[in-house]
Amino acid sequence: MNDFEAEVIRNEQIIKDFFIIEFSLSKPIEAFEPGQFVMIKIPDQRVFLRRPFSIYDLHGDSLSILYKIKGEGTRLLSKAWKGVKTQILGPLGRGFNINIPDTCKPVVIAGGIGIAGVSLLIKKLKNIPDIFYGCTEEMELRLIDHIKSKPVFFATMDGSYGFKGDVITLFERHFQGYNSPIYVFACGPLAMYKSLKEKIPESIHCEVLLEERMACGLGLCFGCVKKTIDEKEPYKRVCKEGPVFDLWQILL
Amino acid sequence: MADLAVGLLGKVLKNPVMNASGTMGYGVEIEPLWGIEKMGAYVTKGLSLKPHHGNPPPRVFEEKCGMINSIGLHNIGIEAFFNVYMPFFKKKDLPVIINFFGFSEDEYVECARYIKPHRLILALEANLSCPNIKAGGISFGKEPESVYRLIKKIKSVTEIPVIAKLTPEVTDIVSIAIAAYEAGADGLTLINTVPAIHVDIENRNISIRGGLSGPLLKPIALKAIRDCSEKVPIPIIGVGGIMDWEDCVAFFMAGARAVQVGTATFLDPYAIPKIIDGLRNYMDKKGYSSINNIIG
Repeated sequence: MNDFEAEVIRNEQIIKDFFIIEFSLSKPIEAFEPGQFVMIKIPDQRVFLRRPFSIYDLHGDSLSILYKIKGEGTRLLSKAWKGVKTQILGPLGRGFNINIPDTCKPVVIAGGIGIAGVSLLIKKLKNIPDIFYGCTEEMELRLIDHIKSKPVFFATMDGSYGFKGDVITLFERHFQGYNSPIYVFACGPLAMYKSLKEKIPESIHCEVLLEERMACGLGLCFGCVKKTIDEKEPYKRVCKEGPVFDLWQILL
Repeated sequence: MADLAVGLLGKVLKNPVMNASGTMGYGVEIEPLWGIEKMGAYVTKGLSLKPHHGNPPPRVFEEKCGMINSIGLHNIGIEAFFNVYMPFFKKKDLPVIINFFGFSEDEYVECARYIKPHRLILALEANLSCPNIKAGGISFGKEPESVYRLIKKIKSVTEIPVIAKLTPEVTDIVSIAIAAYEAGADGLTLINTVPAIHVDIENRNISIRGGLSGPLLKPIALKAIRDCSEKVPIPIIGVGGIMDWEDCVAFFMAGARAVQVGTATFLDPYAIPKIIDGLRNYMDKKGYSSINNIIG
């Protein structure tokens, strides 16, 4: 972990409201886990706190983030020009466990911008995963151009491409068809996790990536907690004990 | 090279810079970035007799020039702190200020009684902003009488120096400071976060209450420090909106003997070591041999 000086190399709109920003870091990041995140200082005086983003791609000193404009911070980030300098703290948190048993079939489920949190995981998994990707409309399929060579099952809410409906309903349809054990990784909105929890048995390993408002990203402030089933210490820090949690440990 | 050492509460600290309570976890979290022993002392997260789960999320809210937190005093309890984390500070040989709170006078007293004197325990910092459940939830720190009574009781059960950390949300902070001093407080920490609300216009939610922190607190803290230091002879630890070494110098000039840095660490995790280096450079440049040359 380090606080890197970073320079914007490109900041490109993929589709409306979705951007990829690439930074050149002052030093390469040697070790990291898929699912880990960074805290980016938004290069604009109007934004006080740094913002957490999943590591979308990382090669040495080249770091990419896929983000969606959600509020003032991401809106101003989208205005950062090539050559703008800022600070990036990372890699942070606990990522996905990629060392799953060889006998398990990995399944990756992503909803919308959730693809940003699992793209590296898809690349790093030893066994090729089944990917379930759900989004609002066909346009968002552009976000997974880079993994289209892998087996992907699509769901769009408006039915403009693939299965019409939500991605968990689509996954549920395939679920009974697995003959060998599966290991599920997911990244998406809370509603997706709630639905997942209802539709698969607790015997299935399932890791999910959570997001929460953060101040420090380092475990210093206890600002970004999520409630878990641990009665002794229910609130866990998303930035420190997470952002990846066991689906069965968290309360949704 | 200038010596940053400062005498505080009967001990000598290698420098006058600490973290503000609750802004550096349990101390171990910053270790991957820099050694916490760089600071003059570590201030614990607010600790209570029993563990406290804190508030449900969301707990932090951004404002244009600061942040509001409503962590809700989440902590593992005084006993677990000593078992799990105190060995870390012993290994680091770093003085510790134990910040503590209770929801009744008895809880404060029992917590203070639990903590045994140790050469590394510099002081007990009583967070007086906590609501007094028996008094209908009014904070202990708002009336001179309740401050006097509470500090007196805490002092009667401990030999460790006691610091009163005061809330700025009072009519006259000097009268509170005097009450703490007369009850036997050995020092003051000025100021706690400023009570504030965040309005979530998206969800029309006006119920988010918390403590405001960030650079806009600096002038408020400076006034409290200046006013109290003129009336009360015990050392003051200044806190509130310190972002860089220049801010620290202002705090010393206003009358603080040491400083605590909080929110700045969230924006730049190296804020504290940078402040310590900046102070040293400043003193070298000015030809000051001791931090006492600046303290007003």
